Amino acid sequence: MRRFALLLLIPVGAAHAQHDHAPTPTAAREWTRQPLLLPDTNRRGERAMASLRPLGLAADKVTLYAPAGPAERRRVDYAVGAAGARIESATPQVGNYHWAVARVETPEAVRVASTAWYFGNPGPAPQALLGAAKHELEIVPEPLPREHAAYRESEKWRFLVRLNGVPLAQQPLTLETEFGSRTTFVSDATGMATVLFPRDFKPAQTTADARASHGPRRANFVLSTEKEDGGRRYLTAFNLTYGPDADRDRSLAWGAAFGLVGMLAATPLLRRRVAAPGDAKNA
Amino acid sequence: MLKTLFPTLSRFRFAVQLVMLCVTVYGSVIVGHYMADKISNNLPALSCAYDQMNGGYCVLIPTQHILHHRIGEGIVRAQQLSFGLVLPLLMSFAAFFAFFFVIGKAFCGWVCPLGTLQELIGKLGRRFGFGPRRFVAGDLGPSGRVRPVKWLILLGLVFVLPLLTGLGVTPHTLGNPYCDICPSRVATTLLTGNTEQLALRLGDNVSFALGAVANLLVGFMLVGALAIRQPFCRICPMLAFNALFQRLSPLRLAKKMHDNCAKCGICTEACPLDIPEIAKEAGRKAFNEDCTLCGRCAEYCPQDGVIQLKWGPFALFSSRREYYKTKVKGELPDGTVKPLKFVKHAAKPISTAADA
Repeated sequence: MRRFALLLLIPVGAAHAQHDHAPTPTAAREWTRQPLLLPDTNRRGERAMASLRPLGLAADKVTLYAPAGPAERRRVDYAVGAAGARIESATPQVGNYHWAVARVETPEAVRVASTAWYFGNPGPAPQALLGAAKHELEIVPEPLPREHAAYRESEKWRFLVRLNGVPLAQQPLTLETEFGSRTTFVSDATGMATVLFPRDFKPAQTTADARASHGPRRANFVLSTEKEDGGRRYLTAFNLTYGPDADRDRSLAWGAAFGLVGMLAATPLLRRRVAAPGDAKNA
Repeated sequence: MLKTLFPTLSRFRFAVQLVMLCVTVYGSVIVGHYMADKISNNLPALSCAYDQMNGGYCVLIPTQHILHHRIGEGIVRAQQLSFGLVLPLLMSFAAFFAFFFVIGKAFCGWVCPLGTLQELIGKLGRRFGFGPRRFVAGDLGPSGRVRPVKWLILLGLVFVLPLLTGLGVTPHTLGNPYCDICPSRVATTLLTGNTEQLALRLGDNVSFALGAVANLLVGFMLVGALAIRQPFCRICPMLAFNALFQRLSPLRLAKKMHDNCAKCGICTEACPLDIPEIAKEAGRKAFNEDCTLCGRCAEYCPQDGVIQLKWGPFALFSSRREYYKTKVKGELPDGTVKPLKFVKHAAKPISTAADA
C-alpha cells in the first residue's frame, strides 16, 4: 500500500537541489577551513544522481543514507573519483532528502563532513533518517527546509548536537558563510542550538548572481563543532546552502500598488444596479 | 444533533469549506513539516505550494514542473520519447485522479481555499448590501463569454509555456507561469501572515510582470467578490482541469426535466457560476463544465427529485419543495440575505424568479 502510494506520488515538483542551481565548489576553501561536501552542478535531466566532492578532507568514499528503499540500498558507499562521488537515490522511486557523510579516521581524531541532498522525487519525510545516529558527533537539522523553501538570511533554524546519539548540552556550534560571516552558538540543555543566519548577501554579488543564474540564489554555509571524548578528538561539519532574505530584490510597495489597482478596477461592480423588469432570465 | 448543526446542505458545505481552508492553508501543523507528510502533491484544488504551512498542494505545480524540467528537457536531450519521460506526467494525472475519483469536481466547491475565500467575501458583500451582479443578459453578459478563458489559461500557462521553457524556447522565468499569476499563491500566503508573495520581484521584467498580473487579479477578486459570486473561479484553470475528467468521477449532478423548468430558472439563479444549462438542459448537458458541485441548484429547486447530487447510483441530496421553502426564507437563490441593520439600501436581486 505504501509502495503504491509512493508510485502515485512519483512526479512531484522540484526542490532546489534538482533545479540545478547548486553553487559550484570553486574557491570553497577561501571562506572556511572546515571539511565540506559540496555538489557539482547536475547535468540536465539527471534527477536521481548527483556528484558530491569532499573538500578539506581526504576521504576516499562518501556514504549515502536513504530514507527508504531496500535494506541494501539504505546505506551505500560511493568511491570518490576525480569528479567527486557520484551518488544515486536509493531507488528511482525514492526521493526526498538523503544524508551524505564523508569521514577520515585516525587513532587520535575523527573528522566528518556531512550534508543533506534532496532528490527530486517524493519519498518519506526524513524524520527517521535524521533521528538515527549515523556517526559519533553529529549536527542534525531540526528540521530541514521543506520543498520550495530554504534556509535564508535573518531566519532562525534549530540544530541538534549529539554524541553517540545522546544530545550534547552547552556545546558550541560555529556557523561560517561563503560571504565571510562567522558566529558561534551554544546548544541548550536539550542539545538544541538555535542558529541565526546572518544577513550577509552582498548586493553587487547578488545582482551578478541573478544575471548568471536562472534560479534562486544560494550561498554555502557550514556549521561545525568539536568535542573530545575517550581520548579521541571529534570534528563534525554540516554544510548546505542558504538564500537571501525574502525582502531582497522584492518590492512590497509595487506589489501592494498593483493589488490596489486591481481593487480599483473592480469597484464599478459595487455600484448598485437597478434591475430592469424582465432582464433577469439567463441568456 | 447533526440536523441541528447542519440544517441545510449549504451549512454543511460551509463547515467543510472552513475545515478544508484550515487544512489547505495551515495543514502542516497537523500533518507535519515535510512535504512527504503532506496530504498530496496532486490535490485537485488551489492549495499553494508557496505557502510553507499548508497541508497539501495542487496538481498544477507538478504539472508545470514535469513539462518544464522533464519532458521539455528530455526532448532537448534528443532522448526517445519513452515511458521514462511520459510516465511521470501520467503518474501525476493518476495521483490527481485518485483524489478526483472520490469527490470529483466538488474539490472546487468544497475544498479549494480560494473558492472558500471568495464565498466568504461574497457573504460579507450580501450582508453589506452589495450586488449581486450576475453573468446574465442585461447585467454582465452571458456566462458563456467567459468560459473559454479558463481553457486558454490551462493550455497556455499550465501546458504550453512550461513545455516551451523546458525546450529552451522561452526564458526560465516562464517555467511555472500559472503559479506566477495565481491569486491563490498570494491570498493563501497572506493568510499565513507572509507578505513575500505579495511583493514583486525586481530586476527581471518577466517575473515582475507576472507578479503584477497576480496582484491585479487578487485585488480585483477581493473587491469584485463582494458583488460577483466567485469571480476568479470562472477563469480558473483548475476548474478546466477538473472539467477534463468530470465524466470519469462517480460524483455528479443529475437533473431530470420538469414541466416548469422552461419558465422557472431558480436553479441558475442559485448557481454561483450562473450556469444557464442547469435550467435549460437535463441529463449530461445539465452537468456543465463550470459546475463546482456546490449543490445550491439542488437546494433551491422547488420540485421534488428533479435535481440530485449523486455518487454512482446513490443520491446524496435531492431537491425537495419543503426544503426549498425553508431555505428561501433565510437566503434568496442569488445569495441575497437580510442586510445588517445599519445598511440602509439593500441590494436588489436581479431576478424575481424566486418570488414568483
